[in-house]
Amino acid sequence: MKTKILALAAGLMTATALASVPAKADVKIGLLGGISGPIAAMAPAMIDAAQLAFQQVNEQGGIGDGEKLVGVVGDSACNPQNGTDAATKAVNIEGVIGVVGPHCSGAVLAAAGSVTIPAGITMITPSGTSPEISTLDDKGTVFRTVPSDDYQGRALARTLKEQGYEKVAVAYLNNDYGTGLANAFKAEFVDELSGEITQFAAHEEGKASYRSNLAELAKGGADTLVIFDYGDGTGLTILRQALENGFFDKFVGGDGMKSEAVINELGAENLATFVSSSPVGEQSESLDIFNEAFKGIGGDPDAIFATTSYDAAFLLALAVEKAGGKKEDVAAAMAEVSNGEGETIRPGEWKKAKELIAAGKAIDYKGAAGDHNFDEKGDVPGTYALWEVGANGFEVLTEMK
Amino acid sequence: MEYLGLLNYALFMAIFIGIYALLALGLNIQWGFAGLFNAGIAGFFAVGAYTSAILTTEHADGRIGGFDMPFFVGWIGAMIAAALVAWPIGKICLRFRSDYLAIASIGIAEIIRLVVKSEAVLTNGARGISGIPRPAAEFPSMAQETAYLASQAAYLAIVVVVLVAAYLLVERQFNAPWGRMMRAIRDNEGAAKAMGKDVEFRRLQAFIFGSALMGLGGALFAHFNRSITPEAIDPMVATFLVWIMLILGGSGNNRGAILGAAVVWIIWSMSEIATDRLPTEYAIQAKYIRLFLIGLMLQLVLRFRPEGLLPEPLRGDRRAPKSGADHT
Repeated sequence: MKTKILALAAGLMTATALASVPAKADVKIGLLGGISGPIAAMAPAMIDAAQLAFQQVNEQGGIGDGEKLVGVVGDSACNPQNGTDAATKAVNIEGVIGVVGPHCSGAVLAAAGSVTIPAGITMITPSGTSPEISTLDDKGTVFRTVPSDDYQGRALARTLKEQGYEKVAVAYLNNDYGTGLANAFKAEFVDELSGEITQFAAHEEGKASYRSNLAELAKGGADTLVIFDYGDGTGLTILRQALENGFFDKFVGGDGMKSEAVINELGAENLATFVSSSPVGEQSESLDIFNEAFKGIGGDPDAIFATTSYDAAFLLALAVEKAGGKKEDVAAAMAEVSNGEGETIRPGEWKKAKELIAAGKAIDYKGAAGDHNFDEKGDVPGTYALWEVGANGFEVLTEMK
Repeated sequence: MEYLGLLNYALFMAIFIGIYALLALGLNIQWGFAGLFNAGIAGFFAVGAYTSAILTTEHADGRIGGFDMPFFVGWIGAMIAAALVAWPIGKICLRFRSDYLAIASIGIAEIIRLVVKSEAVLTNGARGISGIPRPAAEFPSMAQETAYLASQAAYLAIVVVVLVAAYLLVERQFNAPWGRMMRAIRDNEGAAKAMGKDVEFRRLQAFIFGSALMGLGGALFAHFNRSITPEAIDPMVATFLVWIMLILGGSGNNRGAILGAAVVWIIWSMSEIATDRLPTEYAIQAKYIRLFLIGLMLQLVLRFRPEGLLPEPLRGDRRAPKSGADHT
């Protein structure tokens, strides 16, 4: 009896699944994100930003012969099991032409390895920062709009040195993001620039107190603490406890630390000595356009990875248009729509791009998160700035090179 | 084209079910036969996955290996490594009674996860190992779509062979005197001891055998994805999901373990397709419904059918009672 109910439930679900044949007129793109799981707080804004790009495409004439672009949301849950499952559903059931995401590097590696590369589907991740992604044998189908951690870590090291930081302690979150940044930073700061790192320690996320970690970090006598962590998570706790207990005078963060949560929780007056790097370079025209548009749909433009998500979705749409809707040509087209050559396209300028593509002219997308310009590995160099906390939130202190 | 897509999806699910069925079989030896509450499946899964990854990848700078060995060497190595790790753990922890063992084994799985994340020399740390070779993955003479289908079908065939071999061996043990003895220890330890059984040693055996199977499951998973990262050792998908599979399928029954893996994974995976039918403004909220669904399912099964879909065979032996000679 009970088994029957269960069987019935399972049967119903299967029926729902099989009944959903995709409508022919739509062009589908998979939006895979860590909706449940450790980055659940960040994912909705990223998905919304990507949906904004599709909305603009549809408002300005759609794709191809006016077909609608539809984002199919899948939950990669920040782990390979769900990442591959979501990817295989997007590719095989929904029949997507390309995939934006997944959000976490582990899911990106697994989904690329077992689904999108064998199926020949183009993938562009807005937040997979692991250097391992560069080395994938992907036949040119894997891209990203966020720079590899290597770039930022090294750029931050050079900028700090220029700004006169000599002796620092480094605390990093023990995941691919924190480890990648910290190691790149260390390699540049110590080996290339002969700066001094007194303590170099990983920490685990989600603990209530990091005072013992901080006491250990303070031992070497450095006055500056470099934190590679997330400003709306563990990084905030560390920063707060370091301020409260006076372990360090100056604080430096990676892009994850440039979060409004830090200012809201700790107050701008307490953050006079806090600087943070972020991939958003100069206040570019593209960024302003995106910020306006994203505010228009009720989004928060400062949300982490919102700009890269938007750019990833818009770039993929451009590539699909350029490839004429043929999925095997999307990857090659992707490399062409942002390579520094051709007429500049800014966020939201879909109509203009569509006309140029139809006329056979080269286009060059300059996105909200930077100019992109993919290299042969599908990576972007990224533009960074160092930010300080001013009266109106984060303000640019200096460009990073 | 669409049928091809459905077929591809079905193959993919079948591969995952096969991998999870191995984990569930391993857990069945520990919990179903011997009554050991191991909540550290993810740990042994990780040991297997990383061992095989290290053995079979090409040489890499900055970490141990890779040794570029054939995949089956990696898989055997994964079983041996998981068994070797299980031995000292079992030696120490199996003295605990059920729920204390659960707590200890969760802790051990976390220790393994943190070691994997932190020891870059061994595992490449948080970045994980990629470029793991997948057997029978390249079909250069075929078109992309058929090659994709063929590579999935080939891997499924390998998984099925491994799973059937594991099932037959475990089933044989279950029906053998060893299996009856294990259940005797599980059900009445004092009586088994009085009959002269070495309870501690037998428990350790069950723990090690089960862990070896979990290690094999991990290895199959890593090769399928061509990569392994610490994110895969998430207790939610690598420990508790397996428990749900075994409880729902029927602990103490090997077929139940496999059936449970199939039912739970199909619901887990397909529920997303069903919840996607909700309007797009609920697209993000909809993802949580399936988490709720799995929890609800476990509650219902525990409430109405605690013995699982396929209960443990009461007399143990499912073979036709044609002669008593089989039982000695």
